[in-house]
Amino acid sequence: MLIQVVISGLVIGCVYGLIALGYSLIYKASGLMSFAQGDMLTLGAFLGYSFYGIFKLPFVISLVCVVLCMFFLGLFLEKAIIRTLLKNHVLPVYIVLATIAISYIIQNAAMLIWGTQTLSFPQIFPIPLVGVLGVKVQPEALFCILMSLVCMVALHIFMKYTRFGTAMRAAAMDATAARACGINVSFSTGVTWGLSAGVAATGGILLGPIYGVYTMLGAIIGRKGFSSAVIGGFGNMYGAIVGGILLGLVETCTSAYISSAYKDIISYSVLLLFLFVKPTGLFNEQALTD
Amino acid sequence: MKLKSVSKILLAVLLLLVPLLFRNFNYGILICGFIGIYIIAISGLDLVFGYCGQISMGHAAFFAIGAYGSALLHKYLHLPILLTMVIAAVIATLIGALLAYPASKLVFHFLSLATVAFGEIVYQLVAQSPGGITGNFTGFYTDSINLLGFKISTNTRFYYFALVCVCGFLLMKHRLVKSKEGRAFLAIRENSHAADGMGIDVKRYKIIAFATSAFYTAFAGSMYAHYVRFISPETFSNRQSVMFLTMLLFGGTASLSGPIMGAAAVLLLNEGLRFAERYQMLIYGFMLLVVILLMPGGIYGIIKKRIDKRRVVS
Amino acid sequence: MLTVKDVTLRFGGLTAVNNVSLTIKQGTINGLIGPNGAGKTTFFNLISGVYTPNEGEIVFDGVKLNGKKCFEINHIGMSRTYQVINLFRKMTVVENVMVGLHPKMKSGYFSAILGTKGQREEEKEVLEKALDWLDFVGLRGNAYEMSGSLSYGKQRLLEIVRALASNPKLLLLDEPAAGMNSKEKEELFDILRKIQNLGVTILMIEHDMKLMMGITDYIFVLNYGKKLAEGTPVQIQNNPEVIAAYLGED
Repeated sequence: MLIQVVISGLVIGCVYGLIALGYSLIYKASGLMSFAQGDMLTLGAFLGYSFYGIFKLPFVISLVCVVLCMFFLGLFLEKAIIRTLLKNHVLPVYIVLATIAISYIIQNAAMLIWGTQTLSFPQIFPIPLVGVLGVKVQPEALFCILMSLVCMVALHIFMKYTRFGTAMRAAAMDATAARACGINVSFSTGVTWGLSAGVAATGGILLGPIYGVYTMLGAIIGRKGFSSAVIGGFGNMYGAIVGGILLGLVETCTSAYISSAYKDIISYSVLLLFLFVKPTGLFNEQALTD
Repeated sequence: MKLKSVSKILLAVLLLLVPLLFRNFNYGILICGFIGIYIIAISGLDLVFGYCGQISMGHAAFFAIGAYGSALLHKYLHLPILLTMVIAAVIATLIGALLAYPASKLVFHFLSLATVAFGEIVYQLVAQSPGGITGNFTGFYTDSINLLGFKISTNTRFYYFALVCVCGFLLMKHRLVKSKEGRAFLAIRENSHAADGMGIDVKRYKIIAFATSAFYTAFAGSMYAHYVRFISPETFSNRQSVMFLTMLLFGGTASLSGPIMGAAAVLLLNEGLRFAERYQMLIYGFMLLVVILLMPGGIYGIIKKRIDKRRVVS
Repeated sequence: MLTVKDVTLRFGGLTAVNNVSLTIKQGTINGLIGPNGAGKTTFFNLISGVYTPNEGEIVFDGVKLNGKKCFEINHIGMSRTYQVINLFRKMTVVENVMVGLHPKMKSGYFSAILGTKGQREEEKEVLEKALDWLDFVGLRGNAYEMSGSLSYGKQRLLEIVRALASNPKLLLLDEPAAGMNSKEKEELFDILRKIQNLGVTILMIEHDMKLMMGITDYIFVLNYGKKLAEGTPVQIQNNPEVIAAYLGED
C-alpha cells in the first residue's frame, strides 16, 4: 500500500512540479503570473490524444509535435496579448484577468472540439503493468516521473549553459541593462512563455494515459501548481519540482490514510501557511520583495 | 445644480416604477433583483480593490459564507431570517479581518494567490462539509426573507427590498470613502510607503478595507440565498470570484456608479448569451479579453473621460 | 530634540551607516550633505523608521525610536518628504494635504458610516485647515487638480506641505529643491524660513550648496556612511576634509 501511495504521489507531484516550473520561469522572466498554465496542460493532453490516438503517429513524434505547437501558442499569446497590455501600462490585475480569460477560452474551445466525455489516452507501452518493489504499476507512471526529471535537467542545462539561456536570465534580472547589452528582451520573455506552455503540455501528455483526458483536467492541477511553486520558493526552478513532489506526496497520503474529501483543503491550507509564515518558500527565493 | 436634482428625482421615480413597467415581464423584475444583489457584492469588492488597491480573487468565499451562514443559522437555530443575514455578514467580516491580518504584508501577485486559496478552501468546505450539513453537491433549500410577518416571496417585493439595501449600502460606501478612512484607503493604493510616512497605520486600514468588503459581499450572498431559496456549491466556485472582478472592471473601479453599471451590463450580457448556452463561456472569455484590451477604465472611465474633455473645452 | 547615538546599519556585509552620532537642536535648520552614495537618504530612512538600526539608539523628544514603525514615529511628531516624489498621484492636491492631517483626526470608522454630526464637522474643519496649508505655499489655486498633474516644482512644495500638515516638531526634507528652477528655489527659501518661524525644526538633505549655505544654522557631513564633519556653514566651507571628499568625488 505505502509504495503504491508513494508512486502515485510522485506521479502527480512531478506534474505539479512541471506546472510550477512554468510559473517560476514566467515570474523570473517578467515578474508576471499566468493563470492559464493548467489549461495549457489540458490542451497538451488533448493534442497528444489527437496526434497519438487519432492520427496514430509514433509517440515520440506526437510528443515533439505537441511541445512545438504549444511552444508557439505560448509565444503567440505573449506577443499578441501580454505584450500589448504591458505596452498600455495597465494595472497588473488586467494581466492576471487576461490569462484567466485565455484559460476560459482554452477550456471551452477544447470542450467544443473534443466534447465533454473523458477520453482514454491509448497506452504508450505494450505491457500493461510492471512490478516495482513488489507492487504492480503502470509503466506510464514511471515514465511520467522519469520524463519530468529529464525536463527539469534539460531546462536547467538550457538556462545555464546556452547563450540563449544566459540572455534570458539576464533579461529577467535587469531588463534595461540586458537591452543595453543588445539582448532582445521582448523576444526572450516571449520564449519564456513558450517554454512554460511546452513544459505544461508535456505534463498533460504524461498524465493523459494515467488520468484520462477531459476539459477540466488542468484546472485544479494549475492551481495546485501555485502551491508547489510557493512551497519551493516562487521563482526557484529546483524548488518548483521539490515543492510539487512534496505536495503530491502529502495529497496522496491524505487521500489514502485520512480522507480524499480533504486533500484539496489540505493542499490549499499548506499554500496559505507558506504565504503567511514563510513566503520565501523552502529555498528562500527572494521573490517577494517589491 | 437644479438639473442635477431634477434628474435625481426622475431616476428615483423610474427605479420605483420598474416593477410596474415590467408588469407583464416577471423575468425582467427577477433580473433586476439579481442586479441589486451583485451591486452590493461588487461595491464591497470595490472598497478593497478599487479604493485600497488590494486584489481579492476569492470574494466568492464571502458570498458563500453569507449565503450558507444565513441559511444554516435559520435552519438549525430557527432565528428570523433578517437577523441571520446580519449575523452571517458579521461572521464573514470577522473571517475577512482574520484573513487580512497575515495577508496584509503580501504584495499583489501573492495576495491574489492567498485569496484564491482561501476561496478554494471555503468552496471545498461547502461542497464536502463535515456531516453534510450544507447538503454538499446536492444543494440546500431555504426560505425567503420574513420582515415581521411580511414575506418577501415575490420578485416585486424582493426588488423593493433590494432597492432599499442597495441605497443603504451605497450611502454607507459614499460616506466611508469621503471620510478619513476612505482617504487612507486611496493613499495606500497610490503609495503605501508615503501613506506609512504620513502616519497611516497601513496594516490596520488594509484589514478595515478587507473586513468591510467581506461584510458587503456576504450580505449580498445572504440576499442571494433567500431570493433563490436554493444554494449549491456551483454558485460559489472561483468562477464567481472572477465574475465579480469582471463586473467591477467592466463598470469601472473606485466609484459609486461603476459597480452599478458593471453589474447591470455583465448580467444583461450573460442573459443575452443564454441562447447560445454551449458557447456562453467561450464568448464570455473572448469578451473579457476584448474589454481588457480595449477599455481598461471600464464604462465609468469612458464616461468620465468624455465629461472631463467637455469641461476642458468649455 | 533629536539625539542619534553611535548608530550603525548593515545590509548583509555592507555597512551603510557607520557609527554616526549627532544632535539636533530645537528650532534650527540643519543640513545633511555628502557626496552621492554617502548614505544620506539611508540615514533619513533610519530615523524615520523605514529601517531599524543594528546598533546604537535614536531618541526623539525623549522617546526612543528604535523598532518603532514609520506611522508611529509620525504620530510622535516627525514627518518627512522623499527624494523621489511620493505623492498620492490620483488624489487631488487638497486630498493629499488632508491625508497629511490624518493623524490629527479623532472620529472613527462607525461615525463615518453613520455620518454623525461630529464627523461631518471635523471633515469640514480638516478641509479648511488643508486649504489654509495650501495658502501657506501658494498652491490654493490648484487645490482640486490631480496632484500627479502638477508641475515638478509644485509637486515638491505639495510634498512639503503634506508633511507639515500633521504639525510635526521635526521635519525631514530629502532634496526639496531638486528639479526646481531658480525662481522656485527662491520661493522655497522663503517657505523654509516661514516653516522655521512656525517653530518647526528642520533637517534637510540638499545638493544645492548656495541654498544650503544660505539657510542652514548647522551642517552635518556624511561620507561612506560615516560622519565626516559638523559645524556652521562657514566652518564646513573651510574644512579641508570636506573639500577633499567633494573634490575626490569629481
